[in-house]
Amino acid sequence: MTLQQMAVLPVAIPLLSAALILATAPILPRRMPDVLAILIALCCAGLCGFLADRSAAGPIVTWFGGWTPRGGQPIGIAFVVTPAGGWIAAFIAALFAATLVFSWGFFEKTSAHFHLLMLLFMAGQIGFCLTHDLFNLFVWFELMSVAAFALTGYALRSSALSGALNFTVVNTIGAYLILAGIGLAYSRTGALDFAGIARGVSASPGDPVVVASFCLLSTGLLIKGAQVPFQFWLPDAHSVAHSPVSVIFSGAMVAIALFGIAELYWAVFASAPVVHALMHGLLLGMGTASAALGGVMALLQRHVKRLLAFSTISHAGIMLIGFALLDRQGVSGALVYLVGHGLVKGSLFMGAGILLARLGGADEIGLRGAGRQIWPAGVAIGAGGLLLAGLPLGVMDAGLERIWDAARLAGCWPAEIAICAGLVCTGAAVLRVTGRVFAGLGPVPGEEERSPTEDEREDADRPLWLMLLPVAALLVLAVPLRHDADRIGWLAAQALMAPQTNAILGMGRLHAIVPPPWRVAPHSVLPWIATAAAILVAALQLFWHRLPCPLAHGFDRFAAPALRGLSALQSGRVADYVAWLTAGLALFGVAASFG
Amino acid sequence: MSPRLRRLLFLACCALVLPAVLHVAAHMPRFGDHSMPYGDLINAVALAERHTTNMVSAINFDYRGFDTLGEEMMLLCAVGGATVLLRGSRGETESEPQRVPGRPIIARADSTVLASRLFGAVVILFGLYVVLHAMTTPGGGFQGGAIIASGLLCVFLGEGYPGWRRVAPSELFDALEGGGAALYALCGFASLVMGLPFLQNMLPFGQKGDLFSGGLMQFENAGVGAAVTGGFVILLIEFLEETREPVPDGDEEGDDP
Repeated sequence: MTLQQMAVLPVAIPLLSAALILATAPILPRRMPDVLAILIALCCAGLCGFLADRSAAGPIVTWFGGWTPRGGQPIGIAFVVTPAGGWIAAFIAALFAATLVFSWGFFEKTSAHFHLLMLLFMAGQIGFCLTHDLFNLFVWFELMSVAAFALTGYALRSSALSGALNFTVVNTIGAYLILAGIGLAYSRTGALDFAGIARGVSASPGDPVVVASFCLLSTGLLIKGAQVPFQFWLPDAHSVAHSPVSVIFSGAMVAIALFGIAELYWAVFASAPVVHALMHGLLLGMGTASAALGGVMALLQRHVKRLLAFSTISHAGIMLIGFALLDRQGVSGALVYLVGHGLVKGSLFMGAGILLARLGGADEIGLRGAGRQIWPAGVAIGAGGLLLAGLPLGVMDAGLERIWDAARLAGCWPAEIAICAGLVCTGAAVLRVTGRVFAGLGPVPGEEERSPTEDEREDADRPLWLMLLPVAALLVLAVPLRHDADRIGWLAAQALMAPQTNAILGMGRLHAIVPPPWRVAPHSVLPWIATAAAILVAALQLFWHRLPCPLAHGFDRFAAPALRGLSALQSGRVADYVAWLTAGLALFGVAASFG
Repeated sequence: MSPRLRRLLFLACCALVLPAVLHVAAHMPRFGDHSMPYGDLINAVALAERHTTNMVSAINFDYRGFDTLGEEMMLLCAVGGATVLLRGSRGETESEPQRVPGRPIIARADSTVLASRLFGAVVILFGLYVVLHAMTTPGGGFQGGAIIASGLLCVFLGEGYPGWRRVAPSELFDALEGGGAALYALCGFASLVMGLPFLQNMLPFGQKGDLFSGGLMQFENAGVGAAVTGGFVILLIEFLEETREPVPDGDEEGDDP
């Protein structure tokens, strides 16, 4: 089997097996769907990793149905595996495998439907990373959206259903915008293949239709990527979905939407000067705002999953900053950060799942000191918190150092401050949870401080070690691979930023991906400062009641109203979110007019 | 945000984005003035290369057949998701919808029964016709599958709920839906096994304009037809369950088996 034929399998295998599982569900043995799904995810991870590794010698291009371009005119759909898309797809499949182990037996009540949805969800995400065709990209985007809507509502509590509804409405509007953007690109260039459109774009780079197409496409993806002001749906959805589902949402789905923007930019739109300005101006601003806002909001939460959801907004913002700096260092950092953050955030959401299963809740205040018996989970959550805060260890740090370095060299100080704020706040929030739940720190809650939450206990039907195993696996992957991840990220950035457009269209030879000489990721003092500051902020919050009176008083007087205002924006009403979405579109309109 | 403030924000943003929209609209290709190299190319080559006279089917199942596989799976996903949510919110955890005793059953007029029996058969037959003629005339598995499913709905109209549940066991239609989608995917794997690119059409294309032209597309089309029929019937089963609220009083006639 050639590499070209193999490039289809990571999508085709989960699709076929999902259909077969549905067809044979009544006669399958009870644990069979679980076993099958885990094996398929592992197999896809291996395949993607193998393909990504081989693609360093030249992108692997496969045309479905054998429809290779005719005279430079693409007529079919292509998958193009590069080190960028390939390694991200491998990471996604690995995250799915870990999640499926984590949710072993959890969903057997609803026959095999959970596995059907998860396999299709995975196939959609992998297809999204590998495809080289704009409409095909939309198909996979929609597949993963539909699966995600159903998986959010799966918990079937009223909060889950209303969260799923907000998610569905806002994201469906995003899908419409993407479809409109595809229509505009096609009307101008007559092609759907990235390389075909790119040729049309470079023929008329100043065309407003091309710019509008980019605006619509990136708005749709920014909604999925939960960037300010499109981020409101995310905390509502991620905090109410079952924790195994939230692992995938926060670890992979949000991040690959941002990867999609980066891929579209370099593969299609890079020759349009207005798009360059939008990417380096507006999107950088949105990333900056998200990094800061997500961090501050995370600090204000007491529901652990909601807290983690806000931290996802913040870290996705850091990723977007990396991409939007349009600099090799930043892009390679963002790609590495995507994987590192996914591993850490995945293990943290699993930690929240352990709280829900073992302690029957995820309310930080109510669980004060309740976690002592399950201390290994506390160790994992605490380690995750330190890594979120920027502890200079592992994959996440390698990405962060490069993004930080790129922002510093670009002289982009607001982004630098926002990155710091995001790291410190999200790290502090998770550390505070660890301290309160597992060490019993902080004031004893009064009866009135108990939150009136609904019962959201998840079934404790599997042993603790089985739940801790994937958490440990993700954290172990996240730490020692720093060096390799950084080297691959450097190669992947080259593949992403220098697409071989003409060769893919059959005009010229595909050649090996040769990045400029690689230097070890820089080490700066920032991570240490951020980690120390996060511990300090966590301690401050835990021991607030013991602070000297004027200090606490002053804070309550000046900062508290502003923070309340921020929280009020997150109203839970979908009409508000749509109004903010329009505001984001207006930002695009104004920026494109003046940019 | 108060409704008033929200409306204000929305309208202000629309006003801001309007000039940009108008500017883009002014630069769109004029109506009827498109140069569509892709469409021209397909029109020029599809009849010669694939022997189908329905170009839309040629695009759906061959040139962009991989998109259709994705769409197919989206249907599977949407139906599966809807099933889980509806069954779950009715409190059913089994895979098979439960019969709640005491649900009302409304007697049908003889004319309704007769009309449903006549129309049901005709509609199903017409659906099969549309599926079969995918390569020659407008239509195909998607459209035909939806028609067949609505033909089956006539059973509910004429025979009432028990009759409907007799002809529409959800396991059968789950299998039809999954099996149809799997058939489509297997077409791709068949190409791979023969050493060709995924979904490459390797069967004889047949006579131009013939019912059975198009080679591999016939199987893909049949898979889509089966999957859409199955998916729609599953949705109908779940939707009809939703309408059958149990009646609180005990004085109506039940439909216990």
